[in-house]
Parts: sequence; structure tokens; C-alpha cells
Amino acid sequence: MSRLRTLFHPIMVFIGVQIAWIVLMAVWINWYLENNLAIKEFAQKIRPDLFTAEIQWLILFEGCFLMLLILAGVYVIFVYWNKQSRLNQMQSNFVASVSHELKSPLASIQLYLETLKYQDVTREEEKDFVETMLYDTQRLSGLIDNILQSSKADPKSMAMQFQPVDLGSFLREVVKGYKRQFEEKNCRVKLEIEASPTLNLDQRALSMVFNNLISNAIRYSPRGSTLSIYLHKNGKYWEVNFEDQGFGFDKKDLKKIFRKFYRVQNEDTQNIEGAGLGLFISSEIIKYHKGQLKVSSLGRGKGSVFSVRLPLSCEVEV
Amino acid sequence: MKNDRKKILVVEDEAHLAKGLQFNLEREGYLVTLADNGQSALDLLGEEDFDLMVLDIMLPKLSGLEVARKIRNRDMRFPILMLSAKSTDEDREMGLKAGADDYLTKPFHLPELLLRVKGILRRWEWYKEPVHDQEVFQFGDMWINFASGKAKGCSGEFYLTAKEALLMKLLVTKKDTVVTREELLEKVWGYDPQTETRTVDNFVARLRKYFEKAPQTPRHIITHREKGYEFKI
Repeated sequence: MSRLRTLFHPIMVFIGVQIAWIVLMAVWINWYLENNLAIKEFAQKIRPDLFTAEIQWLILFEGCFLMLLILAGVYVIFVYWNKQSRLNQMQSNFVASVSHELKSPLASIQLYLETLKYQDVTREEEKDFVETMLYDTQRLSGLIDNILQSSKADPKSMAMQFQPVDLGSFLREVVKGYKRQFEEKNCRVKLEIEASPTLNLDQRALSMVFNNLISNAIRYSPRGSTLSIYLHKNGKYWEVNFEDQGFGFDKKDLKKIFRKFYRVQNEDTQNIEGAGLGLFISSEIIKYHKGQLKVSSLGRGKGSVFSVRLPLSCEVEV
Repeated sequence: MKNDRKKILVVEDEAHLAKGLQFNLEREGYLVTLADNGQSALDLLGEEDFDLMVLDIMLPKLSGLEVARKIRNRDMRFPILMLSAKSTDEDREMGLKAGADDYLTKPFHLPELLLRVKGILRRWEWYKEPVHDQEVFQFGDMWINFASGKAKGCSGEFYLTAKEALLMKLLVTKKDTVVTREELLEKVWGYDPQTETRTVDNFVARLRKYFEKAPQTPRHIITHREKGYEFKI
């Protein structure tokens, strides 16, 4: 069955059609050259004025040229059609994964609301449920932000609002927001701030980057692992490292993970929800800050380090 | 004193959802154990006895579908309620084929979830009652072991699926009387709005292939037009 599918893959069909086309063309040229004399004799009987004594190379070349044009046209159509079908596939994957990712926090909110409606709960339980719901709404809002941002993730259409931000305290604030999630997954977080510069940044955009990186680290790490966050100066950049003990990456994935909709497919991660947008958006945002988003991993199962590098030139005097 | 509270294993990687499910199921009097991935669910199932599993599909390490398949390879009848954000007809079909007894999509209504859990456990209880004081029911040269789900039909020994076993058990328990399609639907499928009465006919057709030498002219599972089915030895 899979062999049959490979055989009818658009690329195979395209190659097959092209080979058939070239063979037919060769047969036709061969036939034309072989039968040239006979055709000419026959034609001279009907319309002697139409034919000259020699082979009409010009007409032959014109025919070949037209055929080549058709060949090139088919090739161009194929390339665009292939691109389009890949985009359609990516879009439907995206819709499926986004709707799936939206449903999880929504299901949680509905469950807690209905729990409050149908069950008798104590004041403490009520407070706990409301906090859980608030956290889920925050998650939903982060995801919606990602979707909206991804639709305009090209530097020209990104309307950034730069303002001086104390990077150290901002980072501390973002990490604090994940306290509950770290506890739930029994994860430890180590935050080390070597110095706290004030940089000219879009705070909202940068919080998306930090949120994406921290939530990814939690999502793709086993229970009980540690996330180390380290803010320091590295050459021409202020660098924030997010080092996790998660599933890590193969070398081939390292190059692709910042692509839009790209998701690492392996047995550790295949069932973890995700839309393939977070890293793409984060890298675009950092690029817009004239910085770099880098990743390194020693391999699968060996964790990974994401480094947000913001240029020293962003620094402002306080 | 024997503790007769039903034990439910909730397999859900979303911590908030798992905690909410645990809270509500415990309020209904069940004993709840949580597992956050497919592998630990299978490990727990090997160590302890549970009465029901609430199983998510998108799970790290081992997906819910694989977990259900693995369980069905070991035990044909352990009740599984699948709970997933995957909501297309194909997803539902895939879940039921993998071995789920029921399939509920996220987000779900709490009362509906609790009713479905209750329904599955009630059907399971009813199924565990012995048939005429014997585990193995014999008819002609064929037999069905309702405890293990194993059976011997026209073409040798095989295992019945959970639904097939439930359907057969209901027909056998009420042998020589007509059981209506509605009763079969209620007892075996628990009146799932997605289930059509034609489903019963399809299952009966399958059972006839197993137990009838000539399925076109059945001797054991007789159709009574516009009424239902009757089992005869």
C-alpha cells in the first residue's frame, strides 16, 4: 500500500510525465528525420511549391523550442501547485493543532465553572479553582496572541512600542507568573541574574518570547526537572539562557525549529500539544530587536539551551 | 469492612483538568488515582485493580490510543472512557476502534461526564453477574466464557470485543424472549446519542458470522421484525 502511495506521489507522477514527454519528443524527432524524405516525396505530389529540397531545420528547431517551453511551463505549474498543496497541508495541520490547544484550557475552565455550579465547595477550594481558571485564561490569551502575531510576523507589519525596560526585574516578574505551573509539574527553577541592564525593548513582545520559552521548557521536560535561567553579558549582547533538562533535539531538528508551523516529530513529543508558532514568533520578535535567538542541544533526551541575545546597543542610560 | 468504592484511574497530562476530574469524581464517591502519561497508566494498571479508566488521547510517551490497544490485548473488557479534544467523526471512530467503551470530547459538561461514568460502571456490574450460575455458557458445540471474553464459534476459538460480549450476554441472559433494539442500545451502548439503532444490527450480523453455520438462515440469533432479537439454543 505504501509502495503504491510512493508511486503516485506528486513528485513521482511529475517525473514520470516528464520522462514520457521527453521520450515521446525523441521518438517524434527520430520519426521526422527518418521519414523526412518519404514525407517530402508525398508532399511534392500534392503541393510541390511547399517544400524545399533540404531538411527544414528552422521549423524543426521551432517545434523543439515550443516543446521545451511547454515543458518549462508544466514544470513551473508543478512547482507552484506543490507549494500550494504543502501550504494547504500546513494550514490544516495548524487549524487542527490550534483548535486542540485552545480546547484544553477551555475544557479546564468549563470543568471548574461547572464544579462551582454543581458541587458544594469550601471558600478555599473556590479560591483555588478561580486561580486555576485565571491561569487557564492567561494561557488562552497567550495562545491567541501567538496566533495573531504569527499572521503579521514580518518586521514591516510588526508595530513595536519600544520603551526602557529593566531586563532583570522584568524577567523575574515573568518567571514568578509560572510559580504554580512549576509546582504542578514538580519542577525547580533557578534564576540567576548577573547584572540587570535597562534596555530599549517592546515589553509586551518580549514577554511573549519569555512566556513561549518557559512554557515550552515546562511542556517538553519530564516531571521533577530543573530549568535554569541565566541573565548575563556575552560579548556584544546581553544574553538570557533558558537551560532545561527536557527532551532535547536531534541535529536535523535544530535548524528547523524556528520555521513557522514546524513541530519536532518523535515519540517523546508527538502527543504533546502545540501549534508550531511559539519559536517562530519569538525568533521574529528578537530579530526585530536586532538580536538573536539561538538554540543548542547535546541530542535527544539531553535537554536544550535557548539563548535570547539582545544587543548592547539597546541599552539606555537610566 | 470491605471498601466497595469504585476505583477510577484518570490518565490526563493536563494538570488542571486532571485535578478537576479527581475532585468531582471523588465527590461522587469514587476512589481516584491520577497518571500523567500512557506508560505510567499501564504500570499502575499492572499493580492495582481498577474499575474504570478515564483516558485522554494526546499523552506523552504512549498515546491514549496505544494504551487502549495494549489494554485490549490483555483484557478485552476493562471499561475505558476516552476523553479527548479530538472531535471529528474519524477521531471518535478511531478511539472506539482502539477499544474505548465510550468517547467524550473536550470541552465537556460535568453532569454528562458523571452520567457516562455511572453508565459504564453500571453496565460493567451487570456484565459481571454470572449467567445461570456458570461462567461458561455452552450451546451446541459452541461456548462463550463471559469472564475471559473467549468463545468458540463455527470456525474455532476467538476473543469477543467488549461490546460483542455485552450484547451476547444480554441476549443469552434473556434467551427465548425478544429483546428490543432499544433495550440493547441502553444496556450495551448506554444511549449514546451518537449511536444509531442500525449499529445494533451491524453487531448482530457480526455475532451471526461467529456463531451461525448459515448466517442468512440463523438458528440461534433470530430477528423479530420491528421488535428486536431473540436468542435460542
